[in-house]
Amino acid sequence: MPEFTKPYESRWQAFLLLLPTFAVLIAFLYYPGIETFRLSLQQTILLGTRKTFVGIENYITLATSSTYHWSFAISVAFAAVVVIGTLAASLFVAYLLFQVDVGSSTYLIAAIWPYALPTAVAASVLLFLLHPSLGILTFVLESLTGTSLEWFTNGPQAFAIVALVAIWKQLGYNIIFMVAALNNIPETLTESAKLDGVGHLKMLYRVYVPLMSPTLVFLVVMNTIYAFFQTFPLVDLMTSGGPNEATNLLIFKLYRDAFEFSNLGLASAESVVLFAVVAILMYVQLRLSESYTTYA
Amino acid sequence: MATSSTSESTLARLLPEDVDTEQALVHGGLIVSIFLMGLPLLLALIMSTQTTTEVYEVTNVGIGSQGLSNYGTVLGEYNFGQYMINSVVMSIIIVVGKVTLSLFAALALVYYRFPYERAVFMFILLTLLLPVPVRIVPLFDLMARLGWGNTLMAITGPYIASATAVFLFRQHFMAIPASLVENAHLDGVGPLTFLWKVLIPMSKGMIAGVSVITFIYAWNQYLWPLIIMSDQNKQVVQVGLRFLQAASQSGLTRWGIIMAGAVIALLPPLAVLIVLHKPLLETLAIQQK
Repeated sequence: MPEFTKPYESRWQAFLLLLPTFAVLIAFLYYPGIETFRLSLQQTILLGTRKTFVGIENYITLATSSTYHWSFAISVAFAAVVVIGTLAASLFVAYLLFQVDVGSSTYLIAAIWPYALPTAVAASVLLFLLHPSLGILTFVLESLTGTSLEWFTNGPQAFAIVALVAIWKQLGYNIIFMVAALNNIPETLTESAKLDGVGHLKMLYRVYVPLMSPTLVFLVVMNTIYAFFQTFPLVDLMTSGGPNEATNLLIFKLYRDAFEFSNLGLASAESVVLFAVVAILMYVQLRLSESYTTYA
Repeated sequence: MATSSTSESTLARLLPEDVDTEQALVHGGLIVSIFLMGLPLLLALIMSTQTTTEVYEVTNVGIGSQGLSNYGTVLGEYNFGQYMINSVVMSIIIVVGKVTLSLFAALALVYYRFPYERAVFMFILLTLLLPVPVRIVPLFDLMARLGWGNTLMAITGPYIASATAVFLFRQHFMAIPASLVENAHLDGVGPLTFLWKVLIPMSKGMIAGVSVITFIYAWNQYLWPLIIMSDQNKQVVQVGLRFLQAASQSGLTRWGIIMAGAVIALLPPLAVLIVLHKPLLETLAIQQK
């Protein structure tokens, strides 16, 4: 960087400017983050009044606990369903938005608004509309398909309903990025493909999706993080982890182990596992976005 | 949705190669998708005007006889007015705090020469690995020891610094022409004046975008306020929705009231998104890179 772009030399001024950010990051992010690792090696007894060092015992407990295995498995399955469902539905809407000639900005706002939808609102609204006995949507679905929706007692149905709400809430976020990616694709490419008589679907899969791959990788990572961490209100408000543990996602189990059962050491070990999940995802994103830079 | 996309393209192939037909199909597809996406909210709006008895008639989708009075009930009787105020105060503190702190940090990173610049930047960026669930137990403990339980400090403090905002402002500052910086420097403009008179006016779009993202993010908080705020009067509106459900668990659930609460809790972030969608979209486009 040429010298004139860095006009200020004073180190103490730079330090003062960075100080508030550093203070907050150290106090509320790094310190508790490191403490999580330390706590994960401890056992709390007598309602948290005493802590003893137990080494990796908490991790062994997790590794051998069938409820934790279950939670982990359904969280991964949940993330897979949410990521695939969100990407497919958003791609469909984004592709339509990309092709529309008039009224595009009105359509755009009408399609991205779920970005502003708080997860707890999504949960409350659909808990009611899909209520097994009172929900109008339940009524419509049941009369269309001839099945009965009993998701308060049926585990797989509850899992599907929570995933559906999670997908709905995440559509806006995905559509924003997909529309941006589609608009970055050179118009000449679209035109020449059209002249060659390439159909819409083929065009989408053969031309647009490959060119959008950096955005899609980014969205896979962001949607996975969302599915693991931000779906707590859905479980808390809609199913409380049930029925039969069918929606006891890792984040909900962590909350319960820590704040209902006061098992702080074990909950911290669960946090460390979640840390590993974010770290892996971030690493994947960095590596993949590097290898895709040729497209950007 | 996937099935409708296939049937549509089959339709498009059957119809004559006409641009207008194609556009009509695109418009039709969009209107149907947007309607389906908005349908739950539309129904929630309708149900929010119904009495409990009307709600319990499942197929009744007419405007209810309550009019807007459920909204008054939820705001007054169910304390939603207070929760809304709490959420607004929390979100504004987080937005103002985060924007201010991040502008300062970005100013230092871009316009100051100091040792270990790269390491300092990495130190900030690495916090992306530490979302709330990863540090929730010690953070709760820390707040308890600081005596911050049930305070605004507890629900705003952990959020007023962020790697993303610093990163976005840094990117934006680096794109500002060097000649401008040089002129300012030659004129002997101090760093804070430079920030106030040059950088902030040139970053209005970015500041608006970061503010929208932060506002929506702050407004969406649920898990952390649920844990740290045990005083119900100080709770935020998202957790207030939980109280609504709990309050009506005995006897007939007052779903009309709950729907009114849900609609109210959605309005502020939705208004912000609609008004400021342009800077929001521009800022998100940069965040992805």
